Amino acid sequence: MSHEYVPEIAVDRDGKKHEVQGWQGDFYGGKLGFWLFMLTEVMMFGAMFLVLTYYYSLHTQDFLDASAHLNRLLGGTNTVVLLFSALTMGLGLLKMRTGDVKGAKTMIWATIILATLFLGIKGVEWTEEYTHGVFLGLDALQSGNEHSRPFGQILFYGMYFTMTGLHGFHIIIGIGLMIWLVKRIDAGKVSPHHHILHFNIALYWDLVHLIWVFVFPYFYMIGAGDVTGGAIHGH
Amino acid sequence: MDTNTHINYEEQKVGYYKVLVGLLLLTTLTFVQPHMFFESYTFVTQLMIGALKAWMILMYYMHLKGEKLIGWTVAFSLVLVVFFFLVVIADVNSFQFKDVSHITSQPHIDVDYHHASHEE
Repeated sequence: MSHEYVPEIAVDRDGKKHEVQGWQGDFYGGKLGFWLFMLTEVMMFGAMFLVLTYYYSLHTQDFLDASAHLNRLLGGTNTVVLLFSALTMGLGLLKMRTGDVKGAKTMIWATIILATLFLGIKGVEWTEEYTHGVFLGLDALQSGNEHSRPFGQILFYGMYFTMTGLHGFHIIIGIGLMIWLVKRIDAGKVSPHHHILHFNIALYWDLVHLIWVFVFPYFYMIGAGDVTGGAIHGH
Repeated sequence: MDTNTHINYEEQKVGYYKVLVGLLLLTTLTFVQPHMFFESYTFVTQLMIGALKAWMILMYYMHLKGEKLIGWTVAFSLVLVVFFFLVVIADVNSFQFKDVSHITSQPHIDVDYHHASHEE
């Protein structure tokens, strides 16, 4: 069976024939479509931030107390890690556009390593919280028992684990996309003259970074002025 | 952003590093602010710093600078988000159901089960 390329021809109102370009050649269309997808992500996280702000307004002191007990050192380290990963991703795209494919791949791998580091740090942080009895499903975050945290704190930690978990899920997807991107580059499907996939995955990674830019202060910093230190306290 | 590959890597790279330095400075500001200034307005100040960082990422890392159609699309959606935030803030400021709400700290829910069972 032959797989020879057969161009699709469209005729304009003057009778002139034009070859229809596939979506692969439509750089702007690909970019615009991806931006529309990203706006749906903004809506999802935007709704969560709205709920968070609402709960904060109802339980301000509980939120400040809970925030003060999060580990700002680990959270801050992750902020810097994501910041540098956004740089490596951007430089990788720049290298691709200037024809340095090998350099672009190196930068993508650097981004993957930084993303994995982010997940590792997040894992350490969650483990620390679990060890101190603060995790979804544990007594401290269930109402009506002797270990129960104040109601506002239960809401805070519920949102904290949900939102940082969802953000972490996006990081995992991002790592998968970057590995796929490297394979597409190796296969010659992504090149300096055809790099919309690289461009859009870089956009996705910037979005993941952008979401963290708000997740970090919302959870870690709002209670920073109340107490010194940052390690989570036990019961 | 166009599709051509005739761009100066060194020149563009400097731009990326400048943005990185700016973001690092703002991140430092995020850490010191609760202990140094506007201590009573930490929540709002932190979000303002976050918004500034977001603007830098959108304009330079996500290449929105100079993008008219996509730029306005993003701006419109952000206006909608801000609108919904303002509506909720206004609603919260006049919250009327604190005594029966499940998301306030001390709900006082008195359900007349006896009356309900009679109605059935």
